[in-house]
Amino acid sequence: MSELTLLILRIGFLIALWVFVFFVVYAVRSDLFGQRVRKMPVAAPPAVAPDARAFLTSAQPRIAPPVSSVETAPADGTPLKLVITSGALEGQELPLQGDVITIGRSPDSSLVIQDDYTSTHHARLETRGGSWLLRDLDSTNGTTLAGARVTSPVPIPLNTPIVVGSMTFEVRR
Amino acid sequence: MSAPAPDFVATGSIGRLKRVRSSQRMRNVELILILVASAINVASLVLVQWAVLDTIDAGPLAICGLLAVLVLSIHVAMRFVAPQADALILPIATVLNGLGIAEIYRIDLALGNEGWDSLANKQIAWTALALGSALATIIVIKHQRILQRYTYVAGLLAVLLIALPMVPGLGISINGARVWIQLGTLTFQPGEIAKIALAVFFAGYLVQRRESLSMVGRTFLGMRFPRGRDLGPIIVVWALSMAVIVFQRDLGTGLLFFGLFLVMLYVATGRGSWVALGLSLVGVGAVIANQTLDYVNGRFANWYDAFNDANFSADGGSYQLVQGLFGLAHGGVIGTGLGEGMPEVTPVSQSDYIIASLGEELGLAGIFAILCLYLLLVGRGLRIGFAGHDDFSKLLAVGLSFTIALQCFIVIGGVMRVIPLTGLTTPFLAAGGSSLVANWIIAALLLRLSDSIRSEPRLVVG
Repeated sequence: MSELTLLILRIGFLIALWVFVFFVVYAVRSDLFGQRVRKMPVAAPPAVAPDARAFLTSAQPRIAPPVSSVETAPADGTPLKLVITSGALEGQELPLQGDVITIGRSPDSSLVIQDDYTSTHHARLETRGGSWLLRDLDSTNGTTLAGARVTSPVPIPLNTPIVVGSMTFEVRR
Repeated sequence: MSAPAPDFVATGSIGRLKRVRSSQRMRNVELILILVASAINVASLVLVQWAVLDTIDAGPLAICGLLAVLVLSIHVAMRFVAPQADALILPIATVLNGLGIAEIYRIDLALGNEGWDSLANKQIAWTALALGSALATIIVIKHQRILQRYTYVAGLLAVLLIALPMVPGLGISINGARVWIQLGTLTFQPGEIAKIALAVFFAGYLVQRRESLSMVGRTFLGMRFPRGRDLGPIIVVWALSMAVIVFQRDLGTGLLFFGLFLVMLYVATGRGSWVALGLSLVGVGAVIANQTLDYVNGRFANWYDAFNDANFSADGGSYQLVQGLFGLAHGGVIGTGLGEGMPEVTPVSQSDYIIASLGEELGLAGIFAILCLYLLLVGRGLRIGFAGHDDFSKLLAVGLSFTIALQCFIVIGGVMRVIPLTGLTTPFLAAGGSSLVANWIIAALLLRLSDSIRSEPRLVVG
């Protein structure tokens, strides 16, 4: 085995190792750059709820209105459901089970939303201290509850519109 | 436009669900990556044989081919029992394992070890056993809920496993550290399995107690510190780690256990004060150990003043560390080539110093590729935890992947003289059966977690 052949083989092996590394990185690109966006079907254009549109045009975020007068969603075993009130799947329901419901474009989410306005990991509904909370996961376009942007975890009132991307849903009993 | 009939929506949604989560695609990516990984492993063995023997010896190649078949059988089993599992963990672990075997084999050739004296043969046998246990783990543990049920059993098991080497007649001391047990001709390090049991216990325990650990306390210096009565667990784990360091004379394992607990506590509560408390406890422990324990003091001296002749020529001095550094320097940027360096000069170059051996023969470029693979592996684990739907899955995934990260940092940092050297194994690479078995079980648990997290019931819009 000549010196030159060994040198070429040595460099070739290192290149093969790096090709493997980049192959792996290519396979996880959706984690690094977000989930691939699919074109929405033409029949169902992104329907942004009026409240969300008002928010997008207003200069500064509004403070969430006091919701103390409204009944919040309890997590004491009362069967609750998440009802989609606009968009492609209007009327579709998802039972609120377990501790956490995740919403986002990632296929790992409980509720997968494939549109241009939703982040890969957009928002979470979670049970804490006996009630369901809504938490925004630093999403690009934000999450709004009753028209106000969610900045810290807030208890979810019943029958109040929540906007994630182009989808609006409510929590109902 | 009227809303479509509910059953129509449901079937349409399931169709979309299948497309979004096409498990077939992930498994196919995994298959391709496993084939590439096996090709790299075979190439590394061939390169070693060309460089050292000048011919091809078909025996080791055939045995490694059998290992590739075992990995593929795990892949096939996952198509049935865990179709949604992460596609990258198995190929990454395969490539690391194979590189380790090639380097150990190469050092065996240089040292003239044959038969059962050869660490490479042992490593291959252990790899087969480890792959078998990974397969069994994926098949037996159908959901991580099963583990959560045995929270306290896992805790007890961990303590028993850690204490096992102290049993007279069973435990043996190697190089001063008493962390092995002897079964016939085989030696085993129960602490490696204990770290998995500890991760399960911490995850289960913290799910129950995180509220009281994170909510109550009084604010001091801008951080909220826990109440005295909530300090119990961290003190107990700290005492356990210190006991390992003092009685078993094993600095690395003690640090690993404590670091694991600290990170899981931080992830569960989100309180920086726990980390501050833990780090100050480690600091206090380090100062006391440095002053009272000779072997800890020696490690510090070897690290701080490695090139001092007094330390270099002392018994148990910095000879090994300095030889490893010279080896790394000899390798340079692209290395001497597999089989072309002389890593066998460094003591225990096949286990603790495997990273220096690989660094000499693959160079900086090779070391960075290996570190990238570790980074990606740990990143996948953290990603699985992030996507988790319940706290137990999240904590377990973070804990398990963090053990790999911390172990890499402690041992590779030690070899490269970033921190004082402590004896731990480099995951998947180093010669050592118990470490291989434990890390393959960790890989299997991460695969199981990713599968059950991705296949929870849900809905797709758009």
